[in-house]
Amino acid sequence: MVGLSIGEKHFIQGGIAQDIRTDGRKRLTYRPISVETGVIPQANGSARVRMGATDVIASVKAELGKPTPLQPDKGKVAIYVDCSPVAAPMFERRGGEELATELSVALQKCLLGGKSGAGAGIDLSSLMVIEGKICWDLYIDCLVISSDGNLLDTLGAAIKAALSNTGVPKVHVAMGPSGDEQPEVDISDEEFLQFDTTGVPVIVTLTKIGRHYIVDATSEEESQMSSAVSISVNRHGHICGLTKRGGSGLDPSVILDMVSVAKHVSEQLINKLDSEIAAAEAYEVES
Amino acid sequence: MEFVSPEGLRLDGRRPMEMRQIRAQIGVVAKADGSASFEMGNTKVIAAVYGPREVQNRSQQISDQALVRCEYSMANFSTGDRMRKPKGDRRSMEISLVICQTMEACILTHLMPRSQIDIFVQVLQADGGTRSACINAATLALADAGIPMCDLITSCSAGYLNSTPLLDLNYVEDSAGGPDVTVGILSKSDKVTLLQMDAKLPMDIFENVMQLAIEGCKAVANYIREILLENTKQLEYRRGR
Repeated sequence: MVGLSIGEKHFIQGGIAQDIRTDGRKRLTYRPISVETGVIPQANGSARVRMGATDVIASVKAELGKPTPLQPDKGKVAIYVDCSPVAAPMFERRGGEELATELSVALQKCLLGGKSGAGAGIDLSSLMVIEGKICWDLYIDCLVISSDGNLLDTLGAAIKAALSNTGVPKVHVAMGPSGDEQPEVDISDEEFLQFDTTGVPVIVTLTKIGRHYIVDATSEEESQMSSAVSISVNRHGHICGLTKRGGSGLDPSVILDMVSVAKHVSEQLINKLDSEIAAAEAYEVES
Repeated sequence: MEFVSPEGLRLDGRRPMEMRQIRAQIGVVAKADGSASFEMGNTKVIAAVYGPREVQNRSQQISDQALVRCEYSMANFSTGDRMRKPKGDRRSMEISLVICQTMEACILTHLMPRSQIDIFVQVLQADGGTRSACINAATLALADAGIPMCDLITSCSAGYLNSTPLLDLNYVEDSAGGPDVTVGILSKSDKVTLLQMDAKLPMDIFENVMQLAIEGCKAVANYIREILLENTKQLEYRRGR
């Protein structure tokens, strides 16, 4: 990316202080969001989300596996992010691994809850087939195609949309003669269980530039940030995860203020996303 | 297994000499200097071009021409079974090299000495013919980036199953174990820049299959020209002519 001149930096900072950003948005306005579902037909669910010039694809694949001994009544979900070199030349070969790992971990923290699996945004017990023996493993793979800032929010939205689009096949189980034997499973091709995503949180990233915070920063604005806090909020206004990035220190009162701003912004974002996802699914059914 | 039915229909309902449906779009990655997406049936790829720009690794700089680099990567979800390691495996490296050498044949590198042109190709869905789709997408992306080229390179594959030459193999036909011939040509001058084949074929049948693939390339070239013309009209319109 070409560096910014001093004049451009002042322009960005001054604009934000006056509530007018370089593209005309207010501080707490998102860029236009467009959602397409079912973009990867061979996956169980998929979605492509664009926020301005940031473009990501998320796909969900379900495979049968064995639950961990610590949580025999829950399925497993793994989130993996890949930064395609198409998005930026520095992502070629292993250049994008650092950013990709940071994003994967942040998404896992926000959506999957703690180590014990408690408080996960996705209901893991609905992935159970036979307790202790067979469960569904969901592999959520995200690919960043174009990066213009605010990757975390876009990825969170893409995962939410992909999960809404996911159909987990119904499984018919025939118990083997003895209780210890591996039971036979028949995966149905016809019937699918639609995932319930009303509890899945969205991620809102607030970027602090100067004394103000903005939502949905472009990559130019992100280069000027002092720190950023990403908060994942669900429909009920509960905080599901929080990450702070950036070297500059923040006063605790500032963080609490950011959290309340994020809750306020998340309501609009959730409504916007839900309506976009519903429109995308309707369009997919028609075509 | 029967790949061509007695009535002459393939597994997906095509005739032996019929290509899959192609669709292309220019300018899909806003931040790249040039980008394009190309679909051949269910195979979808995105190509992005960054350059000409300053060489990142001084030791690789060439004093009288541009350095062309290419990377091919497949998405985790592109194949039927989820891939564990999408980058750096030998097949990806080989295809990267093939695309690089093919595209270098048409770029006028002597016009941009001491610079670097990066071509990145990302496969979103793989259903056979990924090599060809990548080359076609790269051609469009290079044109979108305004990089001077002497000709358009297009590519197509053909095979030979059940004693019939088949054009544009999909994944099932490709994995059948029959020969797979991939051809890349310079569309105006009709010169072959890429030719790869696996399995074995008698010489006279090979000529037929290669000719069929070249016909496929020409059809792709016509489509690509239409897309580029349409794109230029759009640009002129936005400029206000």
